[in-house]
Amino acid sequence: MTATSGSRLGRPQGPITNTLTTGQLPRLVELYVLVGSLVVVGGILLLMGFNWGGWIFLSIVLYLVSLGVLSTIAENRRKATDRVVRSLVIVAFLLAIAPLVSTLVTVTAKGIGQLNWAFISTTGGAVFNPDTLAVTISTGALQAIVGTLEITGIAALMSVPIGILTAIYLVEYAQSGQWMARTVTFLVDVMTGIPSIVAGLFAFSLFTLVVGPKAFSGFSASVALSVLMIPIVVRSCEEMLRLVPHDLREASFALGVSRFSTITKIVLPTAIAGIITGVMIAIARVIGETAPIFMAASFTDNFNANPFNGPMQTLPVLAYTGYKFPGQDIAASNASAWGAALLLVLIVVILNIIARIVAKTFAPKGAR
Amino acid sequence: MFGNDSQRPAKENSVSTNETVSPSAAALSAAGDSATGPRSPKGAGPARVKIKSRPADRIFFGLSFGSASLIVVILAAVAIFLIIKAAPAITANWKSDASLAEGPTAGYADFWSYVLPLVWGTLWASAIALLIGAPIAIGIALFISHYAPRRVAGVLGYLVDLLAAVPSIVFGLWGIIVIRPLLLPLSDWLNQNLGWIPIFGGQVSTVGSTVLAGSVVLAVMILPIISSISREIFLQTPRLNEEAALALGATKWEMIRLAVLPYARSGVVSATLLGLGRALGETMAIALIISPSIIFSLRILTEGENSQTIAANIALNFQIADGLQRQALIGTGLMLFVISLGVNLIARFIVVRTGPTATRKGKRRPPEGVTIPAASTAVEATALGKAGNSHTEGARA
Amino acid sequence: MKFKNVAAVGAIALVSAIALSACSAATPESTAAPTPTAAAFTIDPTLAGTITAGGSSAQANAEAAWTAAFTAVASGVTVNYDKSQGSGGGVTNWLAGSYDFAGSDSPLNQDNQTKSQAICGAGGALNFPVYLSGVAVIYNLPGVDLKLSSATLAKIFMLQVTTWDDPAIAADNKGATLPSTPITVVTRSDGSGTTANFTNYLSQVQPAIFTGTPGSAWPIAGTSGQQGGSGVVNTVTAGAGTIGYADHSSIGTATAAAIQSGTGTDFVSYSPDAATVAFEAAAVPAPLTDGDLSKKIDYTKISGADSYPIPLLSYAIACSTFADPAQAALVKSYIGFIGSDIGQKVAAKNAGSAPVPASILADFTASLDLIK
Repeated sequence: MTATSGSRLGRPQGPITNTLTTGQLPRLVELYVLVGSLVVVGGILLLMGFNWGGWIFLSIVLYLVSLGVLSTIAENRRKATDRVVRSLVIVAFLLAIAPLVSTLVTVTAKGIGQLNWAFISTTGGAVFNPDTLAVTISTGALQAIVGTLEITGIAALMSVPIGILTAIYLVEYAQSGQWMARTVTFLVDVMTGIPSIVAGLFAFSLFTLVVGPKAFSGFSASVALSVLMIPIVVRSCEEMLRLVPHDLREASFALGVSRFSTITKIVLPTAIAGIITGVMIAIARVIGETAPIFMAASFTDNFNANPFNGPMQTLPVLAYTGYKFPGQDIAASNASAWGAALLLVLIVVILNIIARIVAKTFAPKGAR
Repeated sequence: MFGNDSQRPAKENSVSTNETVSPSAAALSAAGDSATGPRSPKGAGPARVKIKSRPADRIFFGLSFGSASLIVVILAAVAIFLIIKAAPAITANWKSDASLAEGPTAGYADFWSYVLPLVWGTLWASAIALLIGAPIAIGIALFISHYAPRRVAGVLGYLVDLLAAVPSIVFGLWGIIVIRPLLLPLSDWLNQNLGWIPIFGGQVSTVGSTVLAGSVVLAVMILPIISSISREIFLQTPRLNEEAALALGATKWEMIRLAVLPYARSGVVSATLLGLGRALGETMAIALIISPSIIFSLRILTEGENSQTIAANIALNFQIADGLQRQALIGTGLMLFVISLGVNLIARFIVVRTGPTATRKGKRRPPEGVTIPAASTAVEATALGKAGNSHTEGARA
Repeated sequence: MKFKNVAAVGAIALVSAIALSACSAATPESTAAPTPTAAAFTIDPTLAGTITAGGSSAQANAEAAWTAAFTAVASGVTVNYDKSQGSGGGVTNWLAGSYDFAGSDSPLNQDNQTKSQAICGAGGALNFPVYLSGVAVIYNLPGVDLKLSSATLAKIFMLQVTTWDDPAIAADNKGATLPSTPITVVTRSDGSGTTANFTNYLSQVQPAIFTGTPGSAWPIAGTSGQQGGSGVVNTVTAGAGTIGYADHSSIGTATAAAIQSGTGTDFVSYSPDAATVAFEAAAVPAPLTDGDLSKKIDYTKISGADSYPIPLLSYAIACSTFADPAQAALVKSYIGFIGSDIGQKVAAKNAGSAPVPASILADFTASLDLIK
């Protein structure tokens, strides 16, 4: 592919540059050089002691160097630079894909064994046998799933209206350059930068001051998540609202429609797909937060569906505590940690997919 | 894309929310502002016509103004609560206080001698993460925007953005079982051969809980942020500039160097700083991976000489701390807040000062004050959109 | 002797109560009218309510077992034990009034005892020793059954002995083949009661060598700090030439060293009985108030081949006076159960702990009666 695009790019130069004198490397030269480098480095390493990381790293280095040299000799320095940069860019991309694939493979491999219906649909529990005095512990993630959904849901309920209304204020009401708009825009920037643990500290401090000692609750975790979520929602909604063309608004005003109706009947429906997408992504961002939830909602093994009273379990915290505070059966605890992690990744992926579908479904006609 | 846009009806084009920020919409808005600005009296929004005001209007305006004000309140609340909670520990006499003399805060002369090494550790780990992550992220962005075949560009972009959604706890666990052992041979090699450089010196780690391992995981976590924002900005490069460069016989790299990079420079810098912001606040992955000491240290390959970060230190000690110790930890959180605030301010400053100022034809001029996040949300929007496609299509058309 | 009889009665009462609970739906009136002496052991199946507690993660597995056993009889009771808080967090939250009792690896200090009067009234708090285990010194050195004298142990954790073939280690392990690889010392990076017990031990038995400040935070710089007992165990297991410490009940498949008992030539591996014997010898009563069962562990008193030198004791800390008498009865019943012979057996069976010595449990009933 890369070779093809290279030659295509070369095409406009054709009539100007004398291809006979500058020369042209064969189309698949990158592939040949790469295979050559892999073989040469592999051979040398086999003699010196093989190691995967070294093999790949040194092959890449050799590939880049020899490609550059080859191209400099056969073509010219400019083309050589072009080829080397293209290879570097591709290497950077592969370097980024490697950890993604590795993470997903690790989580899936470790968590898939745990992920069954019983794990999803039951609360972890213990059965006591009075004859043998043995306690059998079973793992379950229901309380964590419920906690995650409730905490994130409440956070969304709080941040989405605030976020959208703020965006409406910024786009529809505020004049650019007005001090209030400038201040809010700036503060939203600042809020984007709040570290998640600081949000957790804030919720914890707030609730110990307001509620008193029994401060752990799902709701306080929701407050922490809201602090993180609001700026994301404001930003994406603002962006989406700004994309709504002005002729739509002006046409509406010209017909004597009030601003309120214009916003709710014209502007918001036009931007709804983008807004929903932005909200979904904001949710996906905060649903996996561990530190603030752990700080504000703490942790429990029991089922607690009341977000206003007592500690709540969540998936990220289950993953964390399953690793950090294993039960007597360490392997089982670690397995449930990975199971929770996998579940969390799945939820995030599902949210992303929903966002894509929503964006497609709601996109106004004419948009691709 | 530019060519296509100009031929399409403006309306249809600009409501396509799936796309990159639409140039024509912004052009419209900019034009509208400048043309009708003087005529608009006060409080009016984008449309300058006099319009009816009903009770619902006033209520709605009140609601949206209230929400905007709430943001001011929330942020003030965050700062005030942190300050209230932290003040006793910051002003306390650390030498004579019984509570501060034990547990995580034992052995420090005052708050600053406790927090400064943590500040250093936070900056240091983030800086290394940035050093590793930023070039790769920019490479990915270039690959997706200018090199990848257009059919796969969108999918690849989505894959990379997926990295942003993987919860940090997952990265932490992954770092422990994958990255730590993976980096051991490299650590050994660097220590043996380049140990005379201070950062590679010291007693090399045998289990892998090094700053290097932590920073690599951090780098992976900030990759998607930097790369999606940069990609967005690369895609906004005026098509005419690119085509002009190619028409002059530039190779692809020369075109990127001449047309894309100068245009995108400030955006990329601010993207990098946003990535830095994320790295600064990252907690669980660091707490799980790095073996911490509260010291000033450059070493990145050791077990015992790793500078601890603020966020991880809070996560590790908050539960066991009591009374004033807890407040001291909240005080370090306040410092982290200040640092990330500073990073954001610098990012804004850079964008405002060095951003592309001329409003080129067909290019969306970033509205004042929203430059960085505008980019960052465009990311979010296009994470799911098909920006890459429309671009590459234009390039090949 | 009297204790044993009572314990037997308790065991029977528990089993019968379980049997009863199965068919007591029709007759909620319990037949188990608790007698004063048996009160600590018989679980009243009609109890209902929620016990909120938290703290030490060392006793968390035991708490899970106790909760399962207790609620198997008293099915109306919910016990929330928050193990994520750690000993310090447990005491902090308890002092703030969040918990009915706190789990802590060390008894209240005098300062906190005074503070506790705010929530407990003038009687203050009572410390109940409920969980006994040992700090295991785990290592990864394949093929070597490591024995360590207290002096060598202190030197290793002070980073004075840095390779496995150091003469000090070789002297303890005559005949063993020791590699020349460096020692990686793995400690807790988060505050921990296990660290407090271990550093107390080291500084008591080898004050000249171990000069770090004993406490919940590891005092010596330069070690590999890992988060959580599991972090230490995982890192020691995964690394090569590693050594670390953890609560014995949480070490899983890691190998633990035999430690010199006292100043003699006995190297003792952990066993529940060895921990019980050692603790009985080392426990010095240090009551903060009347009826308080706080113990100071004097590690230097431990010696002999049947004593494991680093016992770890964890407490349940509760108020002597509750604001709500019903809650007091509930907590009294629960703590009474975990301090009973059968409660200790449940913990030993399911959490690998050592039974708290009978001589100490004997005082339990009297102290429990103080809870109002």
